[in-house]
Amino acid sequence: MASGSEEGFGFGSGSGDVDVDPSIAMTTDVELLKRAWRNEKAAPEILQFESNLVQRSKEQIQLMEETVEEYDGNGTDPLTVSLYQMDLDRTQFLLRSYLRIRLQKIEKYPTHISKTDTWSRLSEQEQKFAKRCMDDMEKHLTQSVLSRLPYGYQSILKQSISSEEDDMVPEPQLDTFVFCKSKVSLGAYQLDESGEDIVDFVANDLYVLRYKPVKPLIENGQIDIV
Amino acid sequence: MARYFDIDDIIMEDELISVVYQVGANGVGLLDPGAERNCVEQGAKVELPFWLAHELHMRQAVVVSAPPCFNQKTRKEIQADAAFVDLRSRCPYFYEFGCKVAPLIGDRTIGSFLLYAFTGRYKEVLSKAHSSAFISTPKSTLLTKEETQLYEAARSSMAAFKKWRVGGPRFERASILRKRKPTD
Amino acid sequence: MYGRRASQLLKDFSANEPGQISAFDTENFDQVIKECDAHHLELQALMRKIQEEGLDIQTTRNADHYGAVIHHLALIRNKRCLMAYVYNRAEIIQSLRWKVGPVLPEEVQEKASYSEEEYFKNHSAALESYMSEVELDLTVDMVPPKDPYTKVRVLDDIGDVFLSDQSPNLARHSIHFLRRTDAEQFISQGLMEELSS
Repeated sequence: MASGSEEGFGFGSGSGDVDVDPSIAMTTDVELLKRAWRNEKAAPEILQFESNLVQRSKEQIQLMEETVEEYDGNGTDPLTVSLYQMDLDRTQFLLRSYLRIRLQKIEKYPTHISKTDTWSRLSEQEQKFAKRCMDDMEKHLTQSVLSRLPYGYQSILKQSISSEEDDMVPEPQLDTFVFCKSKVSLGAYQLDESGEDIVDFVANDLYVLRYKPVKPLIENGQIDIV
Repeated sequence: MARYFDIDDIIMEDELISVVYQVGANGVGLLDPGAERNCVEQGAKVELPFWLAHELHMRQAVVVSAPPCFNQKTRKEIQADAAFVDLRSRCPYFYEFGCKVAPLIGDRTIGSFLLYAFTGRYKEVLSKAHSSAFISTPKSTLLTKEETQLYEAARSSMAAFKKWRVGGPRFERASILRKRKPTD
Repeated sequence: MYGRRASQLLKDFSANEPGQISAFDTENFDQVIKECDAHHLELQALMRKIQEEGLDIQTTRNADHYGAVIHHLALIRNKRCLMAYVYNRAEIIQSLRWKVGPVLPEEVQEKASYSEEEYFKNHSAALESYMSEVELDLTVDMVPPKDPYTKVRVLDDIGDVFLSDQSPNLARHSIHFLRRTDAEQFISQGLMEELSS
């Protein structure tokens, strides 16, 4: 149980799941949630929605809330109760912040997300939200600007009818630099197409790199953004 | 356009740049103050905002010349003492503008010149933003828009760090609300 | 003409403190729209001239063509500036829902256009719809938790409220220990202030 997790004690609920010690399961999930939160915070684009993790976290938060209430009622010493409470607060913060950061990315780039394969990284509720963001903004811009412009210049996607493609869609900058770290040594990794730029990932060393080339490593969990 | 709504990108493209018309253009007399008729003659030398110069260059209607902030005189000044050159008044978006102009005039040396200027100025001015003794000095008014943004980011993260160290109230009134009248 | 006024609209906007919004500049905005019409008329006149001379609109590259190109470019430049003006203001309005809740503060209502007020309502509803689907209020817990409880002084008479763990009477000048997440929105709206104990 003394897992060394910075999240505190990660006590189980005592509900008697005999297969997996709930305290260990919960600690691991908090670590996973923290990792998902950190990656989402630092990445310029929206990442894959961690559906199972979010569901489990919600359930565990509920369990912790019930535990705190129970302990509060049955006279457990206040220090223990407040430790549970703090643990609960931290998990809740992580979950809320994770979802919030994603929503704010959707608010910023709803059209781009809907037109690319990024769309599949959203949860069902996020997809609904993205559609509404797009529609609300389109209505507002059409009302305020587009409907008042000359014919041929009224599109929200094309600067004019002579545009060959949709040239009005903002995108996140994937070239942003991020700080990253790998738990194990990965060896040489090619950063560009020509093979001139190679980085050697050594365990626990900190690197500052452009997001785009290392995106696959982040996606499959080999490196973490910090 | 990935940065279609980006205000800095839009304002930066307002910077004037000198061009020579390779063709004539009718019905646009306002663009050349020296024109007698409502048009621009082939061969006319005019200053245009970058957004227009760039497009006309792509259509081979004009030829663009290097703006003064990247000429020999400025380069020598930067080499002498990068931190003291008043880049803000010459070109507030020095770096962005440089990046965009370089391919148009086919100058491959601009990239390394920008890097040199930035490194020099960073050492002098921007790195000092982290020190607690650093209050606003005259040098900060010489900073380009990009440098100012870095400087502000450094200052605000120092301030946040100190606040975290010291403790104190962590919630704030939303800045957009009007100031309260002092309570009695 | 040629984008100058449109650029000025944006420069004025960016002169505001970050996150602040000034009154919608209807006068200049409408002027830029008029300039768009003027550029469009010039553009059409030049294209008509090309056709009247029996030349092919698609391939002709004479002085009329380049004149038309310049007017077209000025038009889309104006379009971009107007779009960016409305869009960037809308971003600030978006952020307000996170900071001060579902009601647009009076000082912002005074400065916002009708369309902006509508946008705020719609966007606010979209956010609320999402939050009720996931059963989480995402507008609280905006800073990492340190202590579960915060000491606050009430600045405006709020009256009796039912909170998750207590039902205090939030009278002006009274001091309470509230759950962090309960206090957050009140503080953000300027109804309470946090006291560092």
